[in-house]
Amino acid sequence: MVTVLLVVFGFFAGMLGALTGIGGGVLLTPILALHFGVPIRQAIGTSLVAVITTSAASSSVHLQRHTTDIRLGMTLELATSLGAAVMAYLVGYFNRSVLEGLFVAFLLYSSFTILRSGGKLKSDEDSAMLSVNGEIPPYEPQRYPLGLSASLVAGALSGLLGIGGGPIKVPVMFIFMNVPLMVATATSNFMIGVTAAASAIVYYRRGDIQVEIAAPLAVGVFLGSLLGARMAPRVQTKVVVYLLVAVMLYLATHLGVHLLREVL
Amino acid sequence: MSQVREPAFDRAVALVLRVGAFTCFFVMLAGLIDGLFMKGHIPLDIERTGVLLMLATPVVRVAVACFLFFREKDYKYGYVSLGVLVILLLGSVFGLGEH
Repeated sequence: MVTVLLVVFGFFAGMLGALTGIGGGVLLTPILALHFGVPIRQAIGTSLVAVITTSAASSSVHLQRHTTDIRLGMTLELATSLGAAVMAYLVGYFNRSVLEGLFVAFLLYSSFTILRSGGKLKSDEDSAMLSVNGEIPPYEPQRYPLGLSASLVAGALSGLLGIGGGPIKVPVMFIFMNVPLMVATATSNFMIGVTAAASAIVYYRRGDIQVEIAAPLAVGVFLGSLLGARMAPRVQTKVVVYLLVAVMLYLATHLGVHLLREVL
Repeated sequence: MSQVREPAFDRAVALVLRVGAFTCFFVMLAGLIDGLFMKGHIPLDIERTGVLLMLATPVVRVAVACFLFFREKDYKYGYVSLGVLVILLLGSVFGLGEH
């Protein structure tokens, strides 16, 4: 029964993720922690598996459109995977309350960022997709030191919270490294799999990935993100984004209360 | 140099990811179905295989890109890929024994 529920939750998280362009990892970890009684550290490790699944499926699509800069991605992966692996290792020494507190802060921060921008989360992705048929303008990535530093932080966040980190990498490549948005989006997606794998391997070796939960979750996320990607052009994005924010705020509140009960 | 696009290169890497994702999906699905309908079986091993394949897919992707870069004599990016591969493999060594 739990298995079926996990597939269903994974499915909706994957669909919301694909519709809004904000990976499903943000939702999976707190749902596992709150509703399936998984300790937060194992919830993070387990949702990393679903993040890898989504990235592999979606970046193969981007690659076939030839919008991914493999060389740039590989270079920045040096930093993201290092950050992710080191942070995943350190997380072994964090206590549960600290991790839950960080996650609550992250959920609140993401919600307010989206609300402040008026729900225009997907506009970037949209314009990136619109120009898919157009030519990619010639470019030369610039400011590698800055890009690598930001990637280190994005990787560390991924290892800490079990998320993809796209919202950091895309703007850094686009604004600071002079990479076209379409390429930045595809390349960020490409990097997420390796980044998540770098930390997931550490979590797995520590016994922080619950296989019996990861498998149904990944199956659901895989199906949900496939469907979400197909539905995306026909769905009112703003409504979905507000739905996502509502879910995130609910999870933040619930996790916050849970945390307070634990600490007090 | 960076913006040079090589369709064959892209396709090879895409193939690794696609095969990885779909194989894992079906292996995990098989594990689930086994767990739901075949009582008394141990689907955990099948599911574990699926999860391990999923963790291995990005590693294989980096290894394939590394091989392709060296074959193209693009040594700079060959070594970059090798570096990523080393970080990934080190993670599996140092993650050990922290239960």
